[in-house]
Amino acid sequence: MLGITNIQNMAPELPLQFSEDLLSTPQFNLIHSFGCDLHFADAYIGKTTRMSRYERLSTEGGQLDGSGVDPAPEVVVRTDVDATTEIFAKTVVINEQVTLFENDKVLTKFTALLGQWLREKEDLLMRDLYASSVSYINAVGGGGGDQPSLIGAGDVNNIERILLGNDARTMLATNEAADLFGTAPTRDAFIALCSTDLAADLQAVNGVVLKNIYPHQEGLRPEEYCSISRFRFFVSSKANKIPGASLLGNTIYTIPMYGLEAAAKIEQNGYTSILGYRPPYVVSSVGQNSQLYAKFALARAITNQNWLSGLNVTAST
Amino acid sequence: MAFTILDGDTFTSTGAGVKIPLPSSADYFHTWNITQMPLAPATAVVIEGEWFGPKFGAGASAANDGLRLKKSNSTNVLVKDTFATATASNGFTYVTTSPVVEAQAPNAITGITAANPAVVTQTNTYSDGDLVRIYNTTGDLTIGGMVFQISSSSSSGYTLLGLANIAGNGLDAATAGFTRRVSKFAAVEPEFMYITNISKANQAVVSTSVDPSFYYAVGMKIHFSVPKSFGMSEISQMTGTILAINAVGASGNIGAYNVTVDINSTAFTAFAFPVTDLSPSAQLFATFSSQGAQTSFNPVTLVQTGYDFTKQPFRTGQFTPYMFLAGGAQSPAGASGDIINWISYKLER
Repeated sequence: MLGITNIQNMAPELPLQFSEDLLSTPQFNLIHSFGCDLHFADAYIGKTTRMSRYERLSTEGGQLDGSGVDPAPEVVVRTDVDATTEIFAKTVVINEQVTLFENDKVLTKFTALLGQWLREKEDLLMRDLYASSVSYINAVGGGGGDQPSLIGAGDVNNIERILLGNDARTMLATNEAADLFGTAPTRDAFIALCSTDLAADLQAVNGVVLKNIYPHQEGLRPEEYCSISRFRFFVSSKANKIPGASLLGNTIYTIPMYGLEAAAKIEQNGYTSILGYRPPYVVSSVGQNSQLYAKFALARAITNQNWLSGLNVTAST
Repeated sequence: MAFTILDGDTFTSTGAGVKIPLPSSADYFHTWNITQMPLAPATAVVIEGEWFGPKFGAGASAANDGLRLKKSNSTNVLVKDTFATATASNGFTYVTTSPVVEAQAPNAITGITAANPAVVTQTNTYSDGDLVRIYNTTGDLTIGGMVFQISSSSSSGYTLLGLANIAGNGLDAATAGFTRRVSKFAAVEPEFMYITNISKANQAVVSTSVDPSFYYAVGMKIHFSVPKSFGMSEISQMTGTILAINAVGASGNIGAYNVTVDINSTAFTAFAFPVTDLSPSAQLFATFSSQGAQTSFNPVTLVQTGYDFTKQPFRTGQFTPYMFLAGGAQSPAGASGDIINWISYKLER
């Protein structure tokens, strides 16, 4: 029928419509604070936090021989681990025309982004601690022809030997066997953190127990990938890697593997996550720009190298 | 507001160059020589300097340049030109990345000699103190992946003071390989270090591939990780306290970069790199890492150890941008005794 104005002859005033349901903002797995001790720094007493440990006394000798001679006293040794609190910040400045002409409720959306930045930045800072200040051993048992090799069961067992030899404590409880076909229990375990690039290689390690085979799935974190020997592996796309560092010039992936009290994260009281807003009349002389910011203070430290070791590995693909 | 004053301060010149950290960066930098300002100096002394950052586009200052306001020929006549203008003098250099931070393309080496210390033959543009990662080596596979500090550098090669006596340490000379320059500081300090030798002594001397004095201090504790393939695995997982740094001269298998620790290694197996034929099956590398510190005070010498807060705490090791003010009467940092005021600005756009 002629004469009807419809969407075929009249273009919409708005070129498109906007779905109220926002698509997901990608977020990588935040794994690098798993298992580390949380400490708090008070205000007004400097930016260095000291954590101290009294070393155990020697167990040699000690028998009184009846002569009346006292045993020599032992000098107590205290080890101090210091960490410097540092402040990190991110800001977003928004021009009024963004909301006036184009977008709605951006303050809420951008605040959520800054909140995500807080946690992601914190995770990467902890990753850098493990990447820089820990001794790693090159894997040799996984094949691949490079130095280090792919990850192998023998390499994982070697790290367990080191940790057990240093009296490290596991931090994840036993996953007890259940009367379910195809499941396998896991032992009480240390934690291992690695890149998602190693997913295929982890599956190929002799004795691997993938997460879906655990007898109980309750409480498992989505970041967990598998269990090998006494280690539960957690993966992240942002886990540490060193491009061009192997013997053959390939990327090396570092896998920190640790037990209780190996590392610490120190948060500043009252400064762990601050989100703020500066209104247009403050940011801009003509009131056109407003500002959102996020900031936090953090200190980090390896508190006991004896309870922390790890592997350098290369990847098969 | 177009400009924000970020920071400012004053210092008394020693005649040498001065580094001023600018963690928030800067777009404009200004200096005043307060001492020379009221005088009629005998030479063309600079009394003000200005530097413009990249936001000024074509007007930005080049490296070692900037604007200078100088008094001319013992009169109070003021002349304004650039530091690069004849007669040229050194000016401002704004450093945003460490000279050794940049990730560079692979650079081929043609050999690592068995001299003591080792000498690398390579066409390069490196500078003394740079850190390079050596990889893809032929002839000696067991140092592939290690980081070394270089010295005595020239366009055709350099010396690895941290790699003494290749043969004595169980290594072979390399005939080829590649290097990449790497950051001088890790993301977090104190960083782990590669070990190239451990002596058998009442107080073991631990040689490192880079100068440990940048990263460690006397009184700090270090934790050893030495795979069995390196011989002296008895020291692995032990913790020692640093008694001295670079105090032992290079001799035999001991390199110029070393720390002396309170561990008696006389009864240990000798340290040696695994033979190259064992690569890639030999576990690598021998390293040590920070295990805190132990405070002590000697009432006789009045020396306190374990309180070096510039090196001891775990902290960010990333590079902080800085402004380098060249020293001298005709440069922004002035001559010895001059009082220099400086202010850094940020352009708000």
